[in-house]
Amino acid sequence: MAHAVPRRRSEAGRARGVQRGAFVAAFLLPATALYVLFVMWPVAQAFIFSLYRWRGVSMERTFTGLGNFAQLVADPVFLRALSHNLALLFFGGAVILCVAIAVSHAIHTEGRAARALRAVYLFPQVISMVVVAVLWSFVYNPSFGVLNGTLRAAGLGHWALDWLGSSRTALPAVGVVFVWHALGFHIMLLSAGLRTIPVEVTEAAVLDGAAGLQRLRSVTLPMLWPVLRVSMVYLVIGSLNTFALVYLMTVGGPDRSTEVMLTYLYEHGFKHSEFGYATALAVANFGIVMLLSGAVMAAMRRDPTEGSPA
Amino acid sequence: MRLRWHGVARRAGAAVVTVLLSVFALTVILPLVWMVLTSFKSSHEIFASPWGLPPAPRWDNYVQAWREAGIAQCFGNSVIVTLATLAALLPIGAMAAYVFARYPFRGARWLFGAFLGGMTFPLFLTIVPLFLLLADLGLSDSLGGLTLVYVAYSLPFTVFVLTGFFRTLPADLLEAAMMDGCGHAAAFWRVMLPLVKPGLVVVGIFNAIGLWNEYPLALVLLSSDEVRTLPLGVANLMMVEHYQSDWGALFAGLVIVMAPVLGLYWAFRDRIHDTMVAGALKG
Amino acid sequence: MRWWVCLVAGVLLSAGCGRARHAPERGASSEVEVAVFKGGYGIDFFEKAAREYEAKHPGVKIKVWGNPRVWEQLRPRFVAGSPPDLCYPGWGLDHWSLVYDKQVIALDEYLDGPPEDGTGTWRETFEPSLLRLGQYEGKTYMLPYFYSINGWWYDRFLFEKHGWTPPRTWSELLGVCAKIKAAGIAPITFQGKYPAYTVSGFLFPWAASIGGQKAVDDAQSLVPGAWKSPAMLEAARRIKELRDRGYFQAGANGMSHTEAQMEFVQGRAAMIPCGTWLHSEMRNQLPPSGFEMRFFLPPVIDGGKGDATAVCIGIEPWMVPAKGRMREHAIGYYRYLTSLPKAKEFVEQKGTLMAIKGSDNAKLPPHLVGAADAFRRAKTVWSVEYVQWYPKLGTATQNAMAALMNGEITPEAFCQRCEEAAEQARNDATLPKHRVQRD
Repeated sequence: MAHAVPRRRSEAGRARGVQRGAFVAAFLLPATALYVLFVMWPVAQAFIFSLYRWRGVSMERTFTGLGNFAQLVADPVFLRALSHNLALLFFGGAVILCVAIAVSHAIHTEGRAARALRAVYLFPQVISMVVVAVLWSFVYNPSFGVLNGTLRAAGLGHWALDWLGSSRTALPAVGVVFVWHALGFHIMLLSAGLRTIPVEVTEAAVLDGAAGLQRLRSVTLPMLWPVLRVSMVYLVIGSLNTFALVYLMTVGGPDRSTEVMLTYLYEHGFKHSEFGYATALAVANFGIVMLLSGAVMAAMRRDPTEGSPA
Repeated sequence: MRLRWHGVARRAGAAVVTVLLSVFALTVILPLVWMVLTSFKSSHEIFASPWGLPPAPRWDNYVQAWREAGIAQCFGNSVIVTLATLAALLPIGAMAAYVFARYPFRGARWLFGAFLGGMTFPLFLTIVPLFLLLADLGLSDSLGGLTLVYVAYSLPFTVFVLTGFFRTLPADLLEAAMMDGCGHAAAFWRVMLPLVKPGLVVVGIFNAIGLWNEYPLALVLLSSDEVRTLPLGVANLMMVEHYQSDWGALFAGLVIVMAPVLGLYWAFRDRIHDTMVAGALKG
Repeated sequence: MRWWVCLVAGVLLSAGCGRARHAPERGASSEVEVAVFKGGYGIDFFEKAAREYEAKHPGVKIKVWGNPRVWEQLRPRFVAGSPPDLCYPGWGLDHWSLVYDKQVIALDEYLDGPPEDGTGTWRETFEPSLLRLGQYEGKTYMLPYFYSINGWWYDRFLFEKHGWTPPRTWSELLGVCAKIKAAGIAPITFQGKYPAYTVSGFLFPWAASIGGQKAVDDAQSLVPGAWKSPAMLEAARRIKELRDRGYFQAGANGMSHTEAQMEFVQGRAAMIPCGTWLHSEMRNQLPPSGFEMRFFLPPVIDGGKGDATAVCIGIEPWMVPAKGRMREHAIGYYRYLTSLPKAKEFVEQKGTLMAIKGSDNAKLPPHLVGAADAFRRAKTVWSVEYVQWYPKLGTATQNAMAALMNGEITPEAFCQRCEEAAEQARNDATLPKHRVQRD
């Protein structure tokens, strides 16, 4: 690391080394102490709970070892919920990335639309999930929601479905809201990334005759690589850990068509009084998130700009 | 010929882009405008004509929301907790981030990874152990206890972002400061920290927004009316209004919750956009 | 340096603020803590009663608190071993788990003692059909307070205007639905997002009507084959028939309870299954005039074996935590709450029915009159108990119910799914088993 403070070997250096060490320890102490006490310790305890059968209303519990995990692997609802999370990740993620790339490109232009959008694109991220869920529930309402209202006004009345009440359309409907909510964050990330592309590179590409789309492919995307990687990791986390949105809009229904891992977890913990199983679910969820994030980081490690001619 | 074709294509492309931007901007603005309009209607009016303008603004929706949930006190509590959390979080987080950025040591990557990993574990499963912990420490049902917990849970994001900012500072700055006789700590407080002020501002605002809206931890760790924070007040309002089906007051309550956050964001919108962009990615 | 000062000050400030507001977790040593679910009836009644009890017992202080999600705060307190002295947790806490984990005490010795006033035992002041819902292995752990009756509702003015009468039998139902639909109104709406309403409003009443009460009791008691009995299957088929005829409101499947109930209250739907809390829940949305909701029992199936007077009720129990401290006064306070004068006062103020015998002699609001009559005349009283006994079975059957109401599965598939879930519950050795008690 070029900017790092080096360690020294001389005697004065060793004294300064001790001084350095003391400094490092002192500066890390408050954060680490708070974090270990209030975050890691409860998490560790939660991991331990996953080895028990526990109702969650007293300290009475029975040790079952890996029993909860064995049950989890064979649980068809868990697998179905996981598939829904993955659907959000792949389909939702694809839409988010495409739209975010396009919008972040456009957001740098001048013009009233761009300026207006710069001001408001983070709004969905900033308001609480309760508001988002209530709002979109009204939009999707089959009798007076704006979606069906618009469809009927446009003469497409037969498309005015019961979006959240029917198993076929519920998950895509929730997916749309998921995308709407997450877009702002990824637009922000990607426009940050676009800012880091040196202007000369872009100008050179334009001079070389690369039109918009080709420029996108050969210059913009490769230079955005590290940012895209970060964006994808956030997509993994966001889609696998989604809870409030689904819970508030559909509670995982109808008939489990929008069930995701965390709503299933909540059901086991708080409705079925199976806290041990719920914790095991959380551990599994955590493991899957780590796995997928790691996979994304590994798959995208090779930066296409390395070694390629300008 | 080719140039003219390019010109047309570019203008068409620009038009498409404008349309895309406008549509997206509308999907963001319209729902919020609708929410504010709806907060001025009675339940009856909401269900009778949900997309029309309110016939007469019902300010008593707001009065009802403010009074019913004791929102004034919740508001105050939320302000206290948010400010106290930031006052502790920013220095502590900056200190740790500075070390991670400039002072490599054995196991640094593990510790950093541990901080980041915490961001991915679902919160409501640590709630029961956390509750027990606070009870043991004598901190249950207190704003102080909640503040400490908030600081701990906000550290990962704060450390992550600030580390990125600290990495952008040139090394010779530190050399110069230390040659002037500063110790490491003094160099930090007097030279380095002020330089990442934009980062602090942005991280502070992002955290403030999250803390303002935080619900599950506050719900379990607080129970008395006197210490309730705003999200609890509004959730109560939601449940109470749900039982009374007073949707107008519910929306008024939601607007009350949203307003400070949106106001804060609006005031700092350019700053957030620019500085988040400038340094956040170097991590 | 300034930063350090700020930091230390910040932490001290917050800790100080915390302590200044620190409401002691367990209250002063002689304070009785009562935690109450704050639903449609509020908690002001209990607070007032607490003041009255304090006046009668000088030196005793009672602290009543509550909110609409009180169970979320009660759960960790039970786990930590410091629960309140008396609680009414509401529908969000698993009461039976508290019983299995011995977190609540059996109250029989108190029930066999004297009541607040009058003669006899405290037990005798309760309606027996309600009291037995809180029993397990012969002991009473949970006590009822107010109870609700589940049935169907219609708007008196709407029906009078069109000359319709609330249907008493299936054939009458089909007849009036056709007329309602012809008038451009949705005949029946329901709370699709929460299928528990349709289980208690459609499935169980019709299964009981066809096959006798035993058909439902057996299903709840996990008798093998009960969920795919001919009665249950036929009930599911009747539901499908109503759907096929278009008598269910379009879009009801995605409606929350308030949305569906709004449709009813605003006259876009004629009939809705709900409990006697309906009026209280919708009181702010009722049209100022020209609307009066009335109760009627679900229509019986022509030629069915079941008791036509059968009534479905529900209670939300109160319980005394084992680790509470001020037990005598907690129970004393509850005894006071369940005295006849207080019970009548609750009926009149809150518009709901009470589990205390004789309390329905109070002045009942119009919407309760029909329900109270139905309860008095009922030869069979039943309740949906299996959802609390076997939560997973409850979830599975409710999910299947949503799919059936939606037309996504056939009645046969519905019964098959429910039976499979019941089989799982039967075979789960860790799940304590219950049976429906019938005298």
